[in-house]
Amino acid sequence: MVLAGTTVLVALPALLPGGLLNASIQMLIAALFACAYSLLAGRAGMLSFGHAAYFGVGAFATVHAMNAVGGAGLLPTPLLPLAGAVAGLGVGLVAGWFATQRTGITFAMITLAIAELLHALAPQLKGWFGGESGVSAMRMPAWGLTFGSTTEVYYLTLAWVLASVGLLYFHTSTPMGRLALALRENGHRLRFLGYDVHGLGVAIFAISAMFSGIAGGLLVVSNEAANYVVFDPGLSASVVLNTFIGGVGSFMGPAFGAALMTFFSYAVSDLTRSWLLYQGVLFVLVMMFMPSGVAGLIAATGRLVGRHGYAAIAPVAVLVVIAATLLSAGSAFVIEILQHFFSQDYRSLARMSGRGSAILLFGHAWAPAAVSTWVWPAGLLAAGAALAAVARRRLAALDRDPRPDKPGAAAQADAEQGVP
Amino acid sequence: MDPIVVSLLNGVIYGLLLFMVSAGLTLIFGMMGVLNFAHPSFYMLGAYFAYTLQPLVGFALAVVLATLLVGAVGIVIERWFLRRVHRYGHAHELLLTFGLSFIIAEAIKLFFGNYPVDYRIPKSLDFAAFAIGSQQYPVYRVLMGSIAIGMFGAIYLLMTRTRVGIVVRSAVYKPRMAEALGHNVQLVFMGVFGIGAALAGLAGAVAGAFYTTNPNMALELGVMVFVVVVVGGLGSLEGAMLASLLIGIVTSLAVAVDRSLADMLAIVGAREWAEGVGGLMTLKVSSLAATIPFALMLLILLVRPTGLLGDKS
Amino acid sequence: MNDPILSLRGLRKSFGAIEIIRGVDLDLRAGERHALIGPNGAGKSTVFHLISGNSAPTAGEIVFDGQRIDGWSPQRINRLGLARSFQITNIFPKLTVFENVRIAVMRPYRLQYTFWRPLDRMARIREKTEVLLERLRLQGQAALIAGELTYSGQRTLELAMTLASDPKAILLDEPMAGMSSEETAYTAQLIREVTEGRALLLVEHDMDVVFSLSDRISVLVHGQVIATGPPSEIRGHQGVREAYLGDEAAA
Repeated sequence: MVLAGTTVLVALPALLPGGLLNASIQMLIAALFACAYSLLAGRAGMLSFGHAAYFGVGAFATVHAMNAVGGAGLLPTPLLPLAGAVAGLGVGLVAGWFATQRTGITFAMITLAIAELLHALAPQLKGWFGGESGVSAMRMPAWGLTFGSTTEVYYLTLAWVLASVGLLYFHTSTPMGRLALALRENGHRLRFLGYDVHGLGVAIFAISAMFSGIAGGLLVVSNEAANYVVFDPGLSASVVLNTFIGGVGSFMGPAFGAALMTFFSYAVSDLTRSWLLYQGVLFVLVMMFMPSGVAGLIAATGRLVGRHGYAAIAPVAVLVVIAATLLSAGSAFVIEILQHFFSQDYRSLARMSGRGSAILLFGHAWAPAAVSTWVWPAGLLAAGAALAAVARRRLAALDRDPRPDKPGAAAQADAEQGVP
Repeated sequence: MDPIVVSLLNGVIYGLLLFMVSAGLTLIFGMMGVLNFAHPSFYMLGAYFAYTLQPLVGFALAVVLATLLVGAVGIVIERWFLRRVHRYGHAHELLLTFGLSFIIAEAIKLFFGNYPVDYRIPKSLDFAAFAIGSQQYPVYRVLMGSIAIGMFGAIYLLMTRTRVGIVVRSAVYKPRMAEALGHNVQLVFMGVFGIGAALAGLAGAVAGAFYTTNPNMALELGVMVFVVVVVGGLGSLEGAMLASLLIGIVTSLAVAVDRSLADMLAIVGAREWAEGVGGLMTLKVSSLAATIPFALMLLILLVRPTGLLGDKS
Repeated sequence: MNDPILSLRGLRKSFGAIEIIRGVDLDLRAGERHALIGPNGAGKSTVFHLISGNSAPTAGEIVFDGQRIDGWSPQRINRLGLARSFQITNIFPKLTVFENVRIAVMRPYRLQYTFWRPLDRMARIREKTEVLLERLRLQGQAALIAGELTYSGQRTLELAMTLASDPKAILLDEPMAGMSSEETAYTAQLIREVTEGRALLLVEHDMDVVFSLSDRISVLVHGQVIATGPPSEIRGHQGVREAYLGDEAAA
């Protein structure tokens, strides 16, 4: 499966037009960032809410390297993200040393505060962060390539992302990687087994920050500019959302979630201004009903199919998909109507025309006060909810079905897929 | 001298405001173990609710209603969201409240736009209470401070002198025992959460009129609240008060200092060196005022990781 | 052989105004099996917490292997050769039994920061883990998720992890808690085997186990040791009977 995925990724420039290729670069970067974040938050269980700090530090280090070194000499363009790695590692060590003194929510608050500190400081330190307009640079030719085309940048990004994700995957099999899991499970016990838990936390934090720095560096290589907006809490929030929507139960879950969310944000950014709201709602829904994320959902479906066969699962699956579509359509309808109704343009228009005018949506004009407008989303939501209830009952019935094979096998299968 | 007194007073009042919000957070955590990232969002909701209601029912009633509404939102969140994920553990609760805070911020941007709104104190309250030297001190600031103090006193009395307070405290320390004695512990938890939320909402309704009301105010205040809680010690109400006042006063005084670190190092003759270093050294302390609480937090972590008045958890 | 490997001198611990441990003197000799018994609330778990570094004593000394360890961090104490188990099972529930033991086993190899070699390839660690699993008769369950073991299986795993660092002294906190009489007998035999040659300090309520397993017994009542001696002596000790019967009658 890995081979197939890699082949597709390598062939992508031949398949996609330029704009989408750019989006793919962003998806790759987001996937790497999520993977790096997941090492800390998913495997080691330390929830950081300020990870944009290390991404941003990597970005700025890389843009300065681009300017200072000029492409030739010490750091050719393809190796520029190393600057991001070094910066991320350095800042990660310092920040991690402080943050890992505490656990749980206090740890999270400290990471948030550190990121906010950078966010507040950056616009003041114009020498390093370039103020409002940021710092820009240019990609220099190196190793016989000009790096002028999107395709070349894509391959550079792909190479770095594949290498980094590969290293992160390798890390999961090393002693430190296994200890990360133990730290999440029971850091208290690790202490009584003789481990220096604080040191372990700092090391994991620093490695996560290092790869985040690489991601930031890749962004700068692609955009040829860095701006203090990269320290925005929105970026820290998005990596958290992406990671957990994807699901931390598996290694590729977060990367997958990040790629998916980035793709959607590109795809729907023309259709709606409320994309972030949708993402937040999706995240809360996942947290409440699908705690193992989209990847976990796929794995669970696989297990169900393994136990009961395609024939039994297919109708329920279709039911679930239809229900989800109806519920999403209904909610999107409501949100979009509200969004238009409360927007600046609509309100000025309404003031001028004197009364509520129609809202243009899905190629149709809807009067906001008319019952006929609200009947649609109400209907969609009701139908979706009803189907969801039916699907849930069917799934519960399937769970109660006696399994045809050995009693231990299901537990074994669960264990194999449950352990990251 | 006068400007210092004014700054001091401003700092105390800002600190009291911080306390109003962080008191709820630290109370809820210390009592219920619930980690509510969305707590500063209650502050923001209070401001926005009051802003919406003000043209309809007048300022005073708007503040009261906003407080009650936010309390209701808090109860809804506890009952229908937090309770559902309680079994998945603390990290999960934290993530859920993080998501909720995100949704609240985005929803506010949807309804009110991604810019500040014009929530202002009514003209009737826009006058000077007294003069300090040549400066007039606005009565509204005094009002904010008094509300905070009054609220603290009310909570303290409620907790220690009334039957309700005793029930709450017993439900917190030994929930099963309290349940066995016939008290509805679920209701108590819901109530505590709602009151904590309402407090933050009240703070927002009152402060939003004076400071700005915008979709980022939850995050801006939130970070400060979290710093307060780390510095004061999670779970300690007295620590939260101490830390809030400390941070309020230090920030307020720093904003008034129009010199840079380089200027101050001139005392020891190191000005040229500092200016040569540049960067942080030449920034005016007033610009750095916002970052001082973070420095304080990092210092506390170095010196006293459990916070000023916290105990080992 | 008669020099104590662990001694507590005048140990005191207060929580606020309440003094839980009120001057405890106790000696654990190398290689001996020493039980610490006493009525509920006497402070036995607190003594363990003090010895293992979970909390620091308010006053008094703890000397282990010639070093004063009072106030040390848990990891430092463990590295010196003192390991403890917990009354409430303290394992890594979502990892396999094998992983649980391996993590405990690999600590002395100083691999905490190793991120360049895969763990599975380290043969010596794998062998040691397998040997330990066999000693505790867990090898058949090595691939199971620790959280899904039976209760006594988890207690055995807890024991395995405590032993993994090859400690000179072991503190076992109610290892038999909640077990049936069969499981208790089985675990007692296991403990007897694996603690051969090590110093063992055991807190346990099952008196049969205590009297059959220990070389010496100390009795802790209201934060003080009121008697220490071989089982025969303790069985007939007047003060001990009063402490136990008095409390048991009221309970």
